[in-house]
Amino acid sequence: MPRLKSLEDLRALRAEVLEETKIQRETNTLIIVGMGTCGIAAGARETMRAILRELEARDIEAHVKTVGCIGMCAKEPLVDIRQGDEPRITYGYLTAEKVPHLIEEHLIKGNVVEEWVVGKLRDA
Amino acid sequence: MSEPTYRAEVLVCSGTSCTASGSLSVLEALRKEVARQGLEDEVRVAETGCRGFCAMGPVVIIYPKGILYCQVQASDVEEIVEETLVKGRVVEWLTYEEPSTHEKVPFYEDIPFYGKQRRIVLRNCGLIDPENIEEYIARGGYEALGKVLSSMTPEEVIDEVKSSGLRGRGGAGFLTGLKWEFAQKASGDVKYVVCNADEGDPGAFMDRSVLEGDPHSVLEGMAIAAYAIGAHEGYIYCRAEYPLAIRRLNIAIKQAEEYGLLGEGILGTDFDLTIRIKEGAGAFVCGEETALIASIEGKRGEPRPRPPFPAVSGLWGKPTNNNNVKSYANVPQIIVNGAEWFSSIGTERSPGTAIFALTGKVRNTGLVEVPMGITLGEIIFDIGGGVPDGKQFKAVQTGGPLGGCLPASGLNLKVDFDSLKQAGAVMGSGGMIVVDEDTCMVELSKFFLTFSVAESCGKCVPCRVGGRRMLEILTRITEGKGKMEDLDTLEEIAEGMASNSLCALGQLTPGPVMSALRYFRDEFEAHILEKRCPAGVCPDLVRAPCVNACPAGVDVPSYVSLVSQGKYAEALEIHRKRNPFALVCGRVCPAFCENRCRRGTLDEPVAIRHIKRFMADHEIKEPWTPPQLEPDKDEKVAVIGAGPAGLTAALRLAQWGYEVTVHEALPVAGGMMAVGIPEYRLPRDILQIEIDNIKRAGVEIVLNSELGKDFTLDDLLEDQGYNAVVLAVGAHVSRSLRIPGEDLEGVWGGTEFLKDVALGNAPDVEGKSVAVVGGGNSAIDAARTAIRLGASDVHLVYRRRREDMPAEDLEIKEAQEEGLQLHLLTNPTRILGDEKVEAMEVVEQELGEFDDSARRRPYPKEGSEYVMPVDVVITAIGQGVDVGCVEKGCGIEFERNTTVKVGKVGSERGALRTTRDDVFAAGDAVLGPATVVEAVAQGNKVALEVDKYLQNGLALPKDDWLAYDDIPLTWEMEDYGEAKRAEMPMQKASARRHNWEEIELGFSETTCREECKRCLRCDLEGA
Repeated sequence: MPRLKSLEDLRALRAEVLEETKIQRETNTLIIVGMGTCGIAAGARETMRAILRELEARDIEAHVKTVGCIGMCAKEPLVDIRQGDEPRITYGYLTAEKVPHLIEEHLIKGNVVEEWVVGKLRDA
Repeated sequence: MSEPTYRAEVLVCSGTSCTASGSLSVLEALRKEVARQGLEDEVRVAETGCRGFCAMGPVVIIYPKGILYCQVQASDVEEIVEETLVKGRVVEWLTYEEPSTHEKVPFYEDIPFYGKQRRIVLRNCGLIDPENIEEYIARGGYEALGKVLSSMTPEEVIDEVKSSGLRGRGGAGFLTGLKWEFAQKASGDVKYVVCNADEGDPGAFMDRSVLEGDPHSVLEGMAIAAYAIGAHEGYIYCRAEYPLAIRRLNIAIKQAEEYGLLGEGILGTDFDLTIRIKEGAGAFVCGEETALIASIEGKRGEPRPRPPFPAVSGLWGKPTNNNNVKSYANVPQIIVNGAEWFSSIGTERSPGTAIFALTGKVRNTGLVEVPMGITLGEIIFDIGGGVPDGKQFKAVQTGGPLGGCLPASGLNLKVDFDSLKQAGAVMGSGGMIVVDEDTCMVELSKFFLTFSVAESCGKCVPCRVGGRRMLEILTRITEGKGKMEDLDTLEEIAEGMASNSLCALGQLTPGPVMSALRYFRDEFEAHILEKRCPAGVCPDLVRAPCVNACPAGVDVPSYVSLVSQGKYAEALEIHRKRNPFALVCGRVCPAFCENRCRRGTLDEPVAIRHIKRFMADHEIKEPWTPPQLEPDKDEKVAVIGAGPAGLTAALRLAQWGYEVTVHEALPVAGGMMAVGIPEYRLPRDILQIEIDNIKRAGVEIVLNSELGKDFTLDDLLEDQGYNAVVLAVGAHVSRSLRIPGEDLEGVWGGTEFLKDVALGNAPDVEGKSVAVVGGGNSAIDAARTAIRLGASDVHLVYRRRREDMPAEDLEIKEAQEEGLQLHLLTNPTRILGDEKVEAMEVVEQELGEFDDSARRRPYPKEGSEYVMPVDVVITAIGQGVDVGCVEKGCGIEFERNTTVKVGKVGSERGALRTTRDDVFAAGDAVLGPATVVEAVAQGNKVALEVDKYLQNGLALPKDDWLAYDDIPLTWEMEDYGEAKRAEMPMQKASARRHNWEEIELGFSETTCREECKRCLRCDLEGA
């Protein structure tokens, strides 16, 4: 990791990261798991494992990342799916046993699982 | 050997799904086309694994630009190569588009939970990977630090923070910039920045979320503060119970150091800063800054007197700046966006946002960040979604154990540091706990006090001893052993603690108790005077939640248990001890018991009312003669009004040996049971059975005998030799709408309308269009009666929302099934017509601030008036007592709402005694329009008071007769764990709208006895 020597270095790094993530964003399926304490307490770790298992079983190379709490603790575990440059779709109460159905519907068939969806977010 | 480099890379998905939809032929075509165009040396075509776009396959991805083409067919390949690989253009129609099913999903900003939020501190939480500094940088992270180090002097930084108006988010709300200035101006070479992450309030977790979700924002804020005051070392004091926060902070510090954003020579300047984490052992007092500093130093976590303040002499005696996690997290945003931007958010004296951990009885629990100045009601009802399960909002506790609670009247309070403090609550660190009707405020304040007492460090006396004494008193009160003087003692101790404790812990410990006393004093008094816990929580005062919820205190679990065994007569005997109207209440009771039934928290409440009806119906064949319990007495009592309150009072007094006469103005007995409740809910012959029971106790009922017309109070008391009178006249006068046109022909008051129907003088509404105004049970009764009288259409006009209607939910539904049309958020402005009603002008309503019932107040929407053509208008917006029937100068006074003025429990005057010594009052006359069971409860109570009065305080004790008996459990509770609530068979809506038959058909014996076994027997708990 290069040490940043100035504000310009920092801005260059930011631009680089943005460029990289832009490409990643546009060509990838990203699955985001809320892993604050509230999420973990509600079973986010099991959900995460189930997602990784399901992706492996189906041989899907989606990106999986963890984030902190987004505030809707009541609906944890929260799982978001973002495809291409489109808004990320948030699912609530997404416990591990719901994962195969979610992957099947959202990724394979391209459908939103309406009964679990919370909302969508265009993140910058 | 080095890999050949390509100008572009084309990846074709070869996952199962894409292959199935033809990706291999696309691959093949791409290779051919690239070769044909002679691009093999520049463009590499390869297979890639599945990316998860299976629904949109076959998928082709082209790097370096990262173009994603979906549903690509071999026939599209020529265009892709020509346009994208040769000319560098995107083939728009092949790019990925959001599937159409996604379009329906609302954006976050359109979900109420997020719509009113403004996320500054939480801007990255849930969006970035907290363990990856680059994601923080990508969202503009460390830009503020860069700006400060490259272009601002420490003074400029302090000025910026000062003029932003940022106040300390730990709760006290001291100006952050000013604090920094003190530390900066303090003399000394070595200074420290400290971050207070010792979040310890039960129910508060905002600091944890920031540390877990966006640790760099805190580090960056600390670095800016350190630069401003001239510190090179910093500490984050985080409780060890937050392992994930500590882990992520450690990762963040390490990554920041690697990038040169912390450590030596930050961003190439000569500014150094080392940040360390000090794990706290979880003592609540360590959230106090001097105790926190002592703890970092390795000493016992105890506060010390201030001054000197830490800004002058803090950590190891050096100038120290200590801020809360959220204060620091605000700073980078202030630097980047400017002080003006920040101070434009929120209120003038509390700029920016507030973060609340919203918990308790609210639908959307979670972490919310809102602009200061938003009202509590908006937070709880709009963002939080209100109280779940149809329960009533009771209070909100802010600031955790050192805060305070506010009742519904506080819902319009604009939230900021000063307003909350003024109202007796505090912002604190931002815990916000919503409680509903099932929470006992005495118990809740005791809970918080228990916490604070346990966390008192013991250094100063007021906190150590005062808290303990207060807790002892509260404990006593919850056990029913409190005295009224205790309340004064509580206040006295609280004052002493507030003014003499060393630190905020001791000073604020009395907060929850004092605010509860301020707003919910009647609940404390109920515990002390009546030995009653209105919420049904305090175990020493509550037999079971259902018994406690029943105004008459009917022993529900006992009779339900006996019914389960088929012992209906025994069961009914238990019921009648407290309520002689089992047949009536089995049909019309709103069942307060079911609302509190603990089974309801598992699935649905036990169908107590239906069970009661079966029990009472079963015993109709055995006419009841109420037993006389005490020897005959010489005194005579007159009861005015043969409604449920009057009849119950008469029955009890007769059972105790008095000679009782009931005077009834109407030609029928029963009061509202006879002329208010329609026949389809309560058949008259059923009612008559229970009135006859009471007559068999020796009570004489004189019909057509009206107070003020046929006799006066003085006649009874002075001429006819009655020793006491019970005034139970009911509330039979409909309240006026106070709009023009109310005197037209075709306008009825709801109660008058129902009475006329009951007495056989039904107004002719056949084929007419009827509008009923109001949202209560009387309005629904009037509407359903009009339907049965053959009205062509019936409209209910109500000024609030459906969920705000006081009428029983089930009855509204049933009425709608029968054809009632609801016009919500609508209110009449005038009734139109020459002599007869021709139409009603109404105006739409919009909802404004919250009223004391925690509902939003409706206001007319200007210009939204419209005319409803109707022939009949029935007004049912409330009822009052006919004060005219009581002669002037007889010594009876009334309250402003026309109810009779009576003494309170425990008062010198005595409960239910009017302003004239020998006259008592009960029922609607005292309560305003209420339910049968509430009237019965009043009847029981007033009889006791009359007995006490007539026996000069030497009345025989009733305790033995009223004692609760425990009925043994006779079924295997586990067998009924999954049993669902039995449904009441009903008459079909299509049939019932044309007849007056009872609409509920009653349980079968088997259904009834099985339903009983769903009871959890809360009465046996602790027995």
